[in-house]
Amino acid sequence: MTPEEFNTELYWSLIDIANGLLTGSVIGGYYAMISIGLAMTFGVMRLVNLAHGDFIIVGAYLAVVMLNFLPVSPFFTLIIVVPLMFCLGYVLQRVLINHVSVQAMERKGLSTNYGLMAPILVTFGLGIFISHLLLGIFESDARQLKNSLAFSAIRISEDLNISLLRFIFFVIGVIILIALHLYLNRTHAGRAIRAASDDAEISPLMGINTAHVYGLALGISMAIAGAAGVMIGMIRTFQPFDGPQFLLIAFGAVIIGGLGSIVGSLVGGILLGITQVLAGTYFGPSAQLVGGYMLILFVLAFKPQGLFSR
Amino acid sequence: MSISVSKRGFFAEPGRGGKRPLLTISELSAYYGQLRALYDIGFQVMPGEVLAVIGANGAGKSTLLKSIVGMMNRGKTAHITGTIDMRGRRLERLNTEKIVDAGVTMVPEGRRLFPRLTVEENLMTGAYLARCRVKAPEKLEEIYDMFPRLGERRAQIVNQMSGGEQQMVAIGRALMSDPQVVLFDELSLGLAPSIVDDIYVKVEQINQAGVTCIVIEQDMKRALAVSNHVLVLLEGAVVLEGDPRELDVDQVTSAYFGSEIGRASA
Repeated sequence: MTPEEFNTELYWSLIDIANGLLTGSVIGGYYAMISIGLAMTFGVMRLVNLAHGDFIIVGAYLAVVMLNFLPVSPFFTLIIVVPLMFCLGYVLQRVLINHVSVQAMERKGLSTNYGLMAPILVTFGLGIFISHLLLGIFESDARQLKNSLAFSAIRISEDLNISLLRFIFFVIGVIILIALHLYLNRTHAGRAIRAASDDAEISPLMGINTAHVYGLALGISMAIAGAAGVMIGMIRTFQPFDGPQFLLIAFGAVIIGGLGSIVGSLVGGILLGITQVLAGTYFGPSAQLVGGYMLILFVLAFKPQGLFSR
Repeated sequence: MSISVSKRGFFAEPGRGGKRPLLTISELSAYYGQLRALYDIGFQVMPGEVLAVIGANGAGKSTLLKSIVGMMNRGKTAHITGTIDMRGRRLERLNTEKIVDAGVTMVPEGRRLFPRLTVEENLMTGAYLARCRVKAPEKLEEIYDMFPRLGERRAQIVNQMSGGEQQMVAIGRALMSDPQVVLFDELSLGLAPSIVDDIYVKVEQINQAGVTCIVIEQDMKRALAVSNHVLVLLEGAVVLEGDPRELDVDQVTSAYFGSEIGRASA
């Protein structure tokens, strides 16, 4: 190998790594958006929400409906989709999930085991219901939210660039996480959510209505899921039964980062994204998912509480 | 911390000392599932007094306090019968958060702070109610004046603090809701005697500021020393009630143990 050939080789392997880190991080930002809602409902209510992926797809389809009436940039659909998803989440928690919670089972004189199992089964059923409802309304055609930025890229050097859209989503994801952090730490309602998460039995003594606080938590979770759905719809096509694959990504990021931790979800998402892109670069596209799941397995084997759990 | 006097219930029977009671509890029974823990308890709480509830383990002291703040309203798992009247307003069917809004709160047994929140965040959760939010910063300073050590440690996570400091946070958190009545459940549990002395000085201060206090205390002598009125529970029923200055120790001891054993050991 001549020195020149060696230099070229080195250059390309550096570009591969830089590309993996950059693209992986940017993808991680949107993985964090997918997973933060799951982390939040688990952290606050110990609710393992198996319908989380389907909520994301609902967000994307709500944008489809809105764009039918108003042909604007898909970014503007967030103005309607996010508050609408919040309301759906709040109502869903109060009329359905609060009635199968541990506290509800206790009021009925049943073992708390029912309260741990019932919400999982309810959200599982809800996921199936939602995907079939979407199939009934929109049929199985793949949809996409058309936008002018889909093929734009930010050029960092001659051989290194990242998708503009993914970068925008990364920025929006970080802004949402910061806003959520401020909300949970600086407002009365946010502190009430954290208090109820620490000790739901005592928080009513502070005047906190836990049923309401849980409603807020699922509302916020679904609002962020809806935003993630709109973004996914702008990057790729989606169908009614695509929910579970996002649920898996969310579980991955949450397991890596640590259950119920906001920063953990972001870092977990970024690590998952980087691993997937690097695995894809070195071992071919089919290795992407396997690489991601290998990382999840390693974390579960060596630090099952997650890298950032408290 | 002023006590507002409403016109409702004005013609209610006068209580001890001719004053109108703040809380009137009558025929209160409490159940855990089928198991009965309290038997037809009735007593009055006068505004501005310190009422001590004493009794052996399992006599129903904590259950009584939990019943007053609505924490026994848990469907088939636990429920109460009877009435709890606060100046004409009935509390026995209300949720805990409504009762706290009405001005009755509790410092729970074992402190039960929110372990992952800081001192200041714990205190601020106490001001969650809409009526408390505007005054919260003012109230917070009052608490820091009362417990200067909390002011120095406002940014600390509470589960890294000593038991005495945690108890101060628990008391401060209860005061943040601007209560008329505070129930203290086993303040001295797990604390060194000197720290318990300090804590009771604070209870006295709180009482002098106009807050009515109901105290559960294991240490009978301390209970008799701090209170204006004492209630002895035995196996879920009131067996003795009166002014601690008028009751003699033998009488209280035998009521406490419910038999001649008390008389023998006294």
